[in-house]
Amino acid sequence: MRYLPLLIAGGCGAVGGMHQATLVGQCSKDDAACARKAPLAPLAIGSKFFPEVSTEIAGTATPNLRLESAEPDVLAVEGGALIAKHAGTSAVLISTDDGSVVDFMHVWVAPVTQITLSRRDGERIAGAIGLAVGEDVTLVPALFNGAQRLAGTSAAVWSATSTGPIAILQDGASDRRRLRARAPGKTTITVALGDAKTTVDVEVVP
Amino acid sequence: MRSVLVLLALSACAPSLSQQSLAPPGRAARLEEVMGFWSVKYYKVEVSQGVALALTCDENGPCRNVNVVSDDPAIAETRPASLVAMQAISFTAQAPASAFVIVGKHPGTTRLHVHAKRSREIVVTVVAPPPPANEQKAATAAR
Repeated sequence: MRYLPLLIAGGCGAVGGMHQATLVGQCSKDDAACARKAPLAPLAIGSKFFPEVSTEIAGTATPNLRLESAEPDVLAVEGGALIAKHAGTSAVLISTDDGSVVDFMHVWVAPVTQITLSRRDGERIAGAIGLAVGEDVTLVPALFNGAQRLAGTSAAVWSATSTGPIAILQDGASDRRRLRARAPGKTTITVALGDAKTTVDVEVVP
Repeated sequence: MRSVLVLLALSACAPSLSQQSLAPPGRAARLEEVMGFWSVKYYKVEVSQGVALALTCDENGPCRNVNVVSDDPAIAETRPASLVAMQAISFTAQAPASAFVIVGKHPGTTRLHVHAKRSREIVVTVVAPPPPANEQKAATAAR
């Protein structure tokens, strides 16, 4: 009976080992690529994850909380963000101001073996993209380790074989880009992170 | 005879510990009792590097003013924890649980001392995490 509140608290989201706190990504509800939509996946090496932490404890709102990594070589906590450094797992301790642990979550870090691209609504890019001059499309890279999608915002490098047909524009997120069709022609976009990369052909028509 | 009774009384009152969290897949986090002749002599904990383990302390009810000290915090750290759960202290009464967390920091063995009304010792062994799968394959191929 005394575990009933724990079972109730454990019914949603990425709940900690003590069943008292949840850890989700900071993102808007209409962001299809956001980690809020699913339990926290392993973080991609080299990526950042901005967590939003809350507790579900009867009789109290969420107290002041701070995060701390048990294994900073695997996963560091810097400025409230989780920084994935090496493959492995680390407990993220969720503590009150006085250092009392309210909960902890074991977070995994994995290398990126594959990158895919999708539109902002989550639809995967499976072939070439055609744009008319003046049109644009926003692309989001998704990072995978085998069949498992990884979480985290990466600093992937975007490049084009020819910059004439399109402009690659920042879109307010470190990994997302907006491709703006400038002039008729063809180009190939490459998105690379570490040893993993993907390409997509873009054709711009008048 | 008197010393045996005193020993019995002391061992009966020493804090008992219970595991409150699980290990993540492929990692260790386990509490074990090491039995003496009459009762638990001490506890053993095996925990992987980077893994946290929550324990509760009971001493005829939740331990009061529990303080846990590690001989070597570079191997295993301890933190007080706030586990919001009630624990029975008699057939009719309950009290808030008394909890702490052990964090495996570096492979090795050390001792933790749990001080409440009485003291209890935990021998903690921190084990290294297994190598990533691709390194395991390489090691198997090299044999």
